[in-house]
Amino acid sequence: MPKPGRILKWLGLAVFFLWTVTPIVFMISASFKGTSDIFKLPPLGDWGGIFNLLFFFDASLVQFESIFHDGSFFSHLLTSIAATGLSVLISVPAGLAAAYALSRANIPGKKHLYFWVITTRMAPPIAVMIPLYVLWRSIGALHTLPGLVLAYVTFNLPFAIWLLRGFMDSIPRELEEAAYVDGKGRIGAFMEIIFPLIRPGVGATVILCSMFAWNDYLFALILGGRGAKTLPVGISELASATQIHWGQIMAGGLVMILPMVILGLAIRKSLVTGLTMGAMRG
Amino acid sequence: MAEVLLKNVVKKYGKVEAVKSLNLRCKDKEFLVLLGPSGCGKSSTLRMIAGLESISSGDITIAGAKVNQTHPSKRDIAMVFETYALYPHKTVFDNMAYPLRIRKMPKSEIKTRVERAAEILEIVPMLERYPRQLSGGQKQRVAIGRAIVRDPKVFLMDEPISHLDAKLRGHMRGELKHLHEELNQTFIYVSHDQTEAMSMADRIAVMNLGELQQFDTPEKIFNEPVNEFVAGFVGDPPMNFLPCTLVTGEKQWSVEFKQFIIEVPDRVKNLTQKAGAQLSGRHGVTLGIRPDNVLLKHERTKPGDLAGEIYITEPLGSYMIVDVEIGGERIKVRADISFPGRSKDPIFLELDGDHMHLFDAGTSRSLIHQSNGKG
Repeated sequence: MPKPGRILKWLGLAVFFLWTVTPIVFMISASFKGTSDIFKLPPLGDWGGIFNLLFFFDASLVQFESIFHDGSFFSHLLTSIAATGLSVLISVPAGLAAAYALSRANIPGKKHLYFWVITTRMAPPIAVMIPLYVLWRSIGALHTLPGLVLAYVTFNLPFAIWLLRGFMDSIPRELEEAAYVDGKGRIGAFMEIIFPLIRPGVGATVILCSMFAWNDYLFALILGGRGAKTLPVGISELASATQIHWGQIMAGGLVMILPMVILGLAIRKSLVTGLTMGAMRG
Repeated sequence: MAEVLLKNVVKKYGKVEAVKSLNLRCKDKEFLVLLGPSGCGKSSTLRMIAGLESISSGDITIAGAKVNQTHPSKRDIAMVFETYALYPHKTVFDNMAYPLRIRKMPKSEIKTRVERAAEILEIVPMLERYPRQLSGGQKQRVAIGRAIVRDPKVFLMDEPISHLDAKLRGHMRGELKHLHEELNQTFIYVSHDQTEAMSMADRIAVMNLGELQQFDTPEKIFNEPVNEFVAGFVGDPPMNFLPCTLVTGEKQWSVEFKQFIIEVPDRVKNLTQKAGAQLSGRHGVTLGIRPDNVLLKHERTKPGDLAGEIYITEPLGSYMIVDVEIGGERIKVRADISFPGRSKDPIFLELDGDHMHLFDAGTSRSLIHQSNGKG
């Protein structure tokens, strides 16, 4: 007889699983259906019919064909990949360098500097949207890909610094000092000793920064505009005043979550923590 | 030739002077121990020699070359850290091979050297393991191994065995001393443990509050401490101190402690005069006597014997420490394990005058042994 606590735990997990997975299952199922099939309902009272409709139907790629048909969806996808990729490529290395300096160097007023960096993330993006819009317009960055990348970096960099500094602080200074004594310079010690140890942190930072940029709607809509339209904005336009293309929205949504899933799986291996444990005494 | 020379070295952290104008010469192939309580500046000194800490002023030279501005990686030193500082993502073999790989040594040579070091330290079966899979003692050996695979000018060790349990520590003391003899290299070793210093060092530099107190052989440090601090820090159990008055007569000198009068032997008197102390009349002193230099007796046999009462006895297997209360002071005496005595028993103490130490009550400096030229 299993303990009641255990049953409760599994029950909770089951509810949470259904809560999380049902919309995704629904999206996957709908994106492989013809438009008329999506809205099919089982007869009243036939609860099993819901299950049948979700999993047993004539699969078709018609929704995918229609979203990729005119090429604009594909270009939104490319814009999303470019904006996310570039912002991460800038934020994470720059964040690493800043975190290293904040963690190791004796900078006067370091605490205040660090706090100032963090404050940039304290206001919600919407609060700074109007000033940013004016600023972006005045420097000619409005509705351009570099402008959008810059906006993402503005928000991702402080976050990366904050996250990576925590990981950096957890690496004992002696490890670096041991590398110096062993004959490595500052950069060598960083690359060969510190970096491998904070790789889980770097992986987590890459994922979180990517997700911020990838999922963003507000910046893309207002700062990216027509010139740098990303997937979230592109997909939202499938719902117009006259018609909502549910099938295409579902297919577009599926295409959109795939890169993040792949990234997560790819980085998962380096997320394994606990490597630093036991290197020091005790 | 790898002599390490410190000249007027100062280390300041903000306004705090952690090391005050330190002059030290560690001879080639010498085993030098920097000894002192925590916060005495010994670790800062070692880290300055390693280049991990900047020098506020003064000069440090290694093998004749000034290294004030030289990065640790260019000083050709090996260091064992108090926390071992093993690379957690590298196996034991790779940890030990790392300094050699940095020097682009051929693979076969690296293998030979690491295996030889592993044999010396008896860690051959652990070469493929990761640091987290090792015990404290094994990690410590790997840390030493990483230092000895190389052929550095100087070995620096920052309390490498202070975190091991007592038994292993005793074992490692012998091993480290043996290693020093085998490698025949300059060792600078930081410790707060006087036993480590006494048993391993060729010379000990005793430090306190950032200042060098005495720099000499273990024997001299033990027998001829130049001040009360050194006398009290070295030796276990530590030296007993009694606040006294030195009475200098024409012929005979004596020390007065409460109602007791202890004669000062001529040898001590002569040494004091030789040391150049200007003494006349009555002078406030601290009398120092080691627990080994006191004889316990049940009856007074000499007029100078001090009368006291046993406070407690501590049998330690082969000998016994007896705590005696005399005139409101408590002193420790080392006695034979068979010594009969219980708390509150009256007891008499005979001090071995030839081994007494006298310190100026004001300056705490020894009146008998003067500091030799420091460094």
